Amino acid sequence: MGIYKFLLKRVLQGLFVIWGIVTVVFLLRFMTPGDPVSFVAPLDAPPALRAQIAEDLGLNQPLHIQYAEYLIGLVQGDMGYSYISNTDAGSRIFARLPATLELALMATLIAIIISIPLGIISAANRHEPSDYAATSFSLIGISTPNFWLGIMLILVFAETLGVLPSGQQAIGLVGALQMLIFEQNVSGLRAWGAHIILPAITLGTYFTALIMRLTRNGMLEELGKTYIRALRAKGLPETLVRYKHALRNTLIPIITILGLQLGTLIGGAVVTETVFAWPGLGRLVITSVLNRDWPLIQGTLIVIGVGFVVINIVVDSLYAYVNPKVGYE
Amino acid sequence: MAKIGVVLLISILLASIFAPFLALHDPTHQYSGESNNPPIGFGGETETATTEVVDGEVQTTVETVEQSPTMEHPLGTDALGRDMFSRLLFGARTSILVGLTATTLAATAGVVYGLTAGYYGGRIDDGMMRLADIMLAFPSLVLAVTLIGLYGTGSIRIPDPWVGLGLVDGMPESFVFPGTITVVIALVSWVWFARVARGEALSLRDEDYVRAARTAGASDWYLLRKHLLPNCLTPIIVLATVQVAVVILLESALAFLGFSGTQLSWGFDVAQGRDYLATSWWITTLPGMAILLTVVAINLIGDWFRDALDPDISGEEGGTGA
Amino acid sequence: MVLVPRESDSADLIRVRDLTTRFYTEEGQINAVESINFTIQKGEIFGIVGESGSGKSVAALSLIDLIEEPGRIVGGEIWYRNPDLAEMVADATPDAVDGAYVDILQLSEGGRHALRGSTFSMIFQDPMSSFNPSVTVGEQIAEAVEVQRRASANPRSTRARTEDFSLVSFLLSSALPSRQFVTPDSKDRAIELLEQVGIPDPAKRAEEYPYEYSGGMLQRAMIAQALAGEPEILIADEPTTALDVTIQSQILQLLSELQDETGLSIVLISHNLGVISRICDRVGVMYAGELIEKGDLSDIHQSSVHPYTQGLLDSIPDFEHPESSLQPIPGNVPSLLDSEMGDGCYFADRCPKAMTTCREKPPEFTVDGDDDHTVQCYLAREAYDPAKALEDNIDSEEPDATASTMNREQLEHSPVEFDNE
Repeated sequence: MGIYKFLLKRVLQGLFVIWGIVTVVFLLRFMTPGDPVSFVAPLDAPPALRAQIAEDLGLNQPLHIQYAEYLIGLVQGDMGYSYISNTDAGSRIFARLPATLELALMATLIAIIISIPLGIISAANRHEPSDYAATSFSLIGISTPNFWLGIMLILVFAETLGVLPSGQQAIGLVGALQMLIFEQNVSGLRAWGAHIILPAITLGTYFTALIMRLTRNGMLEELGKTYIRALRAKGLPETLVRYKHALRNTLIPIITILGLQLGTLIGGAVVTETVFAWPGLGRLVITSVLNRDWPLIQGTLIVIGVGFVVINIVVDSLYAYVNPKVGYE
Repeated sequence: MAKIGVVLLISILLASIFAPFLALHDPTHQYSGESNNPPIGFGGETETATTEVVDGEVQTTVETVEQSPTMEHPLGTDALGRDMFSRLLFGARTSILVGLTATTLAATAGVVYGLTAGYYGGRIDDGMMRLADIMLAFPSLVLAVTLIGLYGTGSIRIPDPWVGLGLVDGMPESFVFPGTITVVIALVSWVWFARVARGEALSLRDEDYVRAARTAGASDWYLLRKHLLPNCLTPIIVLATVQVAVVILLESALAFLGFSGTQLSWGFDVAQGRDYLATSWWITTLPGMAILLTVVAINLIGDWFRDALDPDISGEEGGTGA
Repeated sequence: MVLVPRESDSADLIRVRDLTTRFYTEEGQINAVESINFTIQKGEIFGIVGESGSGKSVAALSLIDLIEEPGRIVGGEIWYRNPDLAEMVADATPDAVDGAYVDILQLSEGGRHALRGSTFSMIFQDPMSSFNPSVTVGEQIAEAVEVQRRASANPRSTRARTEDFSLVSFLLSSALPSRQFVTPDSKDRAIELLEQVGIPDPAKRAEEYPYEYSGGMLQRAMIAQALAGEPEILIADEPTTALDVTIQSQILQLLSELQDETGLSIVLISHNLGVISRICDRVGVMYAGELIEKGDLSDIHQSSVHPYTQGLLDSIPDFEHPESSLQPIPGNVPSLLDSEMGDGCYFADRCPKAMTTCREKPPEFTVDGDDDHTVQCYLAREAYDPAKALEDNIDSEEPDATASTMNREQLEHSPVEFDNE
């Protein structure tokens, strides 16, 4: 199968899954107890007002009409109006998105920069003190509840040492870069860095530990394979044996695992954002669920779900591209 | 290393089973005047702020208080004067019980689903796995928060057998089992089991002995039960072990966010202590360490299983969301 | 044992003396190769035959210094005739030099590493698992070419001549195409090599991945890769075992032709005496880590002394005389665990001609005054005497007669298999 056919198939599958996500999210409202109106209307609202609200929110229509209208709205980029703040749900969600993306990217960056060298060192020095230190670190890393880690970081670096702020985004990355470029002012970038470092460590620790583990075990497995002996037999420098051959083959499968673990990253973001009062999507999920703000709940879930599907399509294509043996099955 | 894990886990299991015997106090009893007591060895002066409304205005008085640990509360007390040591013991019950129940539910559902998909293959498999993909696209924690937020935090009161038999006094008569979050956690984690079971079933259905049995006229049900299920148990056991750790992390994260049906949970205590971080660090630190130790113990055992049984499920680590 | 090379022996390219390789595992010490001696002459094909677990692969890996943990070469000498190398290392390590010969086991690790590919190269049993699955075949062969191109650009350096590709160079090469390890010239050479080993349309096939090759084609590519450094000795470890019978003969033919064309020496390792007999000039027979008999192919075929060698010959089906039946050797290869190995001849308990003298380890005897035919068996000195038969060999292991027959039957029904073409 050629790469284009493979991509087409994968995209079609993805579209089906996205449709499924939208449908599940839409139906969720009808499967949960409680009338949305009672969360919007004042407690002592007379029946006439309640009917009016239901009418305004389009809740009186039959199910299939509401479904069709919702789908049509989505295609046009309209996620409805927030019940509570009466603003466009889509623009509220996309206003929150950059903060979460910045946090997730920083966490991933920290994780990759630390974990892969650590995994390699650990595999190269198997059963030596540096290996034990690295594997212990990774065991603790995958076992630490990240809300607690965040609080501990605040306790140490913000409360006790007072060297870093305890959260809350001071300025977005875009704003900080604008300051840098248009005003030659680095203070924006500094403030951005100071505020994001603790949340990013909190979110990234699990992934650092996970990737380190996968890299170490993968490298050990690769280095034990027959082809490594053949590479050494032809006199290839050990640097190339390790990094050009073994590491490459180790990292290829790790890419797909990370794609699947994206959900964990987003889930972690919900907790991290709560701990650090970070103005991202994660906190929006919690407040909108507590408020039963349906357009916001649905919109956020759809944005997260679609993001997951799209990134996994990219990851799968990348995997098929770098791993010739898999082809585009 | 696995030995350390086994010893740790057995201690935690014993602590949770015999919590009423080991606890020094009723974990829910508030000792007035003994709030924010430090653990033994950590006494000292601290500032406490008290707020009062005087003549319609809020006034905050900050006083320096001498805190002295007491033998009564070896690990100190929380902001409401509840004994930390006893709360940690009872918190272990919640973690272990939710961890085991939710994992069992998820494994059962996931294995049945995955075996069916893998065994029948073709279109049935395609359809079932697309449905699983939809589940996978929602991060476990986000989905759990949404479902619990919408359905509420129901819980079941289970009478404590030790108290019921009259073996201990002064302990809570029943234990609050957070039923809704257990079910919700199972609901958000069965997919991982389904994926592993399906992979095993796909590879096993073409084995000669399965084909031979099918040719001999064995029923689908017989084949699933006799051949496929026993052969996929090894990776499922390894996954389940790791998943118990994941569930405990998820439960504590949900409790931390305020989405749990019980107040006797380590995650809940961490959240409680957050407001007193500057003065009473132990209220957050100790329950967090309890979670960490428990999860480390389970992961050590999981690694040991994985090395000993060696199934290839590295890609199916499950999601913590915590 | 110090070797004094004589001028008349200059045909010897390699002289292995008392080579001993052991593995230190959790179960105990394994004596995989125990004090073996042999020579490899320039331009010959030397065969090593033995059952699986007899130590023949370990012997080969010891030659090329690819023994991995927990294994270690614990003793012996490997003298390699190379006047240039001898001159180069004479000042630094005078002990390692003897005339034109260099004891490669006394060289530094870098020095031994530098011999890989240029002096020794190796092909393995399963070509599919001997190539990196995610790199094209052409690229992998070009790597082998490049290693030697870089080495010959800097011939006077005795330290690892190829170790100068550091992590920094690697990172640079990932970023800049011009700094890549493999150059276009090496890729062209790789295509020539593929052509030389008889791969049709080599330019196109060089761009393909290992999984796109058949087993036989991939083994040819493996040979092409082994030839990249123009080595003096090619070690072929069971090169045909994983292949179809028809492909097997093609590969053997190819090896034989290459040997004729290039004059390289080949060490062919096989569990199959049939394969060995097809192309080898001289043969060594390994049993339980020892080289128990060695000599010219005709010596082994016509005047072998060791009962094990004779057993091996009997287990080849003879298609010219089908009436003679196949004779499997009863029993199994003994454990190589140091703690379980006795003091006597390791074959004694399977040997039909074991005598009381066999309780002591036999030294190496020459056969019929022929220096090139040696054997570790007392039968070279005295004929078999049934009166001195070893009491506790398989025939009389059990005092109970019926049990003894049963035991023997069991043994005969589980013979050590020798594949035949």
